[in-house]
Amino acid sequence: MSAMSDPMRVRVVLPRTARAELAAVQAVEDLGQRVAFPRDTLAEVKLAVVEACLNALEYGAGDVVVEFAVHLKNGGPWLEVAVVDHGPGFNPSRVPTPALEEKLRAPRKRGWGIELMRHLMDEVEISSRPGYTKVRMIRRWGGK
Amino acid sequence: METFELKLAEQRGNIAVLEVAGYINNEGGEAIAKEAKRLVDDGVRSLLFDLRATRIINSIGISLLLEVLERLLEVRGTLAFCSLTPSIAKTFQIMGLAQYARIFPDRGAAIQGLDPAQ
Repeated sequence: MSAMSDPMRVRVVLPRTARAELAAVQAVEDLGQRVAFPRDTLAEVKLAVVEACLNALEYGAGDVVVEFAVHLKNGGPWLEVAVVDHGPGFNPSRVPTPALEEKLRAPRKRGWGIELMRHLMDEVEISSRPGYTKVRMIRRWGGK
Repeated sequence: METFELKLAEQRGNIAVLEVAGYINNEGGEAIAKEAKRLVDDGVRSLLFDLRATRIINSIGISLLLEVLERLLEVRGTLAFCSLTPSIAKTFQIMGLAQYARIFPDRGAAIQGLDPAQ
């Protein structure tokens, strides 16, 4: 990876082990430091990436691949993350928006991942079909 | 990296302070929920989580914190947090947790806020 290339790319294949998502977090840290991304911004990206990886590891099958790209041109730097799994897929439009008041009364209190991603990143795009789900997220230097 | 640790740092009357360090995931969240249940069963009514040494939390860990909140609401208790990183504070704000839990900048302010007699 060259600091002068555009974009800088990193690919991480997550192992199916406990805390595997932290390998992706480390990649965010390393890439962010290379381009001096603001620390608070990076911290938010890390939380969003954790959520995308957790969903892929929990619901996907086969390798979970996380691809990062730091774009330096076109108003950069901006960070692009794609998390790909090969699970059964889902319809993102049918994922309900969680409400805390309801969650407190419900036995299942999970279901926050996509909501958090959407608020922590500037763009979140989910494409999913049987055998292939890709969550693509973007965070700009001065975003959010 | 991000090794989880949980420590009961202080207990004054019905207020308990738990210091949390490292990654709050399913395992960390379960440890927190178990300790919180023990404290509430022992009569604690204000639980303060000092997250000064926590940088990453995930939604599974948060869902376990919601179980703690639910239990405290049942006993008319208070859930409080202090020393949040900006990203964790934002996460709590996205979820609306600030409507149900008290959030303080640091432990001193939290103790003062939870027990003005201190």
